Amino acid sequence: MAVTGDIHDSAKVLALGLATGFGAIGPGVGVGFIFGKTIEAVGRQPELRGQLQGLMWLGFALTEAIVFYALGMAFVAYAIA
Amino acid sequence: MLPLLKVDFNPVAEFTDFVHNPYVTLPLGLDINKAVVYMWMAALLATLLTLFAVRRSLKVRPDGRQTVAEVVYDLAQNQVARGGLPEEGMRIWFPYVATLFVFIWMMNLIGFVPLPFGERHFDLFGLSIPEFQIYAATANLSVTLALTLVTFVATHVEGIRYNGVIPYFRSWVPSDTPWWIMPIMVPVEVISQLVRIVSLSFRLFFNLLAGHLVIAVFLGLASLLGTYFILPIGIPMGVALYLLEATLIAGLQAFIFATLSAIYIGGAIHPDH
Repeated sequence: MAVTGDIHDSAKVLALGLATGFGAIGPGVGVGFIFGKTIEAVGRQPELRGQLQGLMWLGFALTEAIVFYALGMAFVAYAIA
Repeated sequence: MLPLLKVDFNPVAEFTDFVHNPYVTLPLGLDINKAVVYMWMAALLATLLTLFAVRRSLKVRPDGRQTVAEVVYDLAQNQVARGGLPEEGMRIWFPYVATLFVFIWMMNLIGFVPLPFGERHFDLFGLSIPEFQIYAATANLSVTLALTLVTFVATHVEGIRYNGVIPYFRSWVPSDTPWWIMPIMVPVEVISQLVRIVSLSFRLFFNLLAGHLVIAVFLGLASLLGTYFILPIGIPMGVALYLLEATLIAGLQAFIFATLSAIYIGGAIHPDH
């Protein structure tokens, strides 16, 4: 099958996808850690559930935001390349 | 071919195009465009909902509406404000962080209601109606950056007011730092203060932008790819993501923004903590 289209455009699309995908690996691991460790901690000390949940959501949001730095830079690369 | 596939669907357009055709053009770039109207709606909705919830005098045994208002107030006071602010900062800054929490929450929630604010119009019984779309004011960097700058300025003004200029800036680096690490520590600490502007505003902005884009892409996947076979996957995924974003992410991001604002301001008032 003959390949048609602009190689420059396809490279930009690939860069957007790759940057977002690789950028999601680390925060994915981190978010999993946060929820897993919270479950562990609640299992050990169920009476601290309320405090731990507040901390969990804070940590979740801080970690999750790192995906969006990668996504933001990917959009910038897509826009200016 | 069914009409769906003829639609020229661009999920990004609704977040970018509105800047170029504002409703009212004003000098200094203070145009009244879609994002401004969405912010007004959020402010109005937050005010009206609060008035509706506590319209009559507050009762010792609360009814349904008052219970909801008390839950939100309790969340704002005990989870958001008490988590970061010291007791002497509560009087001034609890209203601020509680307002942030409710205002951003309302902006995010309005973003999940389809409203006729689209750029393109369609005809319905001879009437030209703008396309319905889900747009959030917080999916706009200008909005979140403005909110962040208020927090940033408030942080340093309060830090200087409570501690004095020299002790406040000295408190940025730990007091037991050896003198020879200072050339490294001072730039690092200054940069970490400035990075807060980026992290606080980008977190809210990209969460909402990416959330809306993913919903739009999955719901419009058949139109983007030009095939109907993807519909049984695209529509349920879009609906599931919509429910997740509207119920969890909208409230959570407002909570995080307000909590971090409280932590930053509280940390400036009492640098030791």
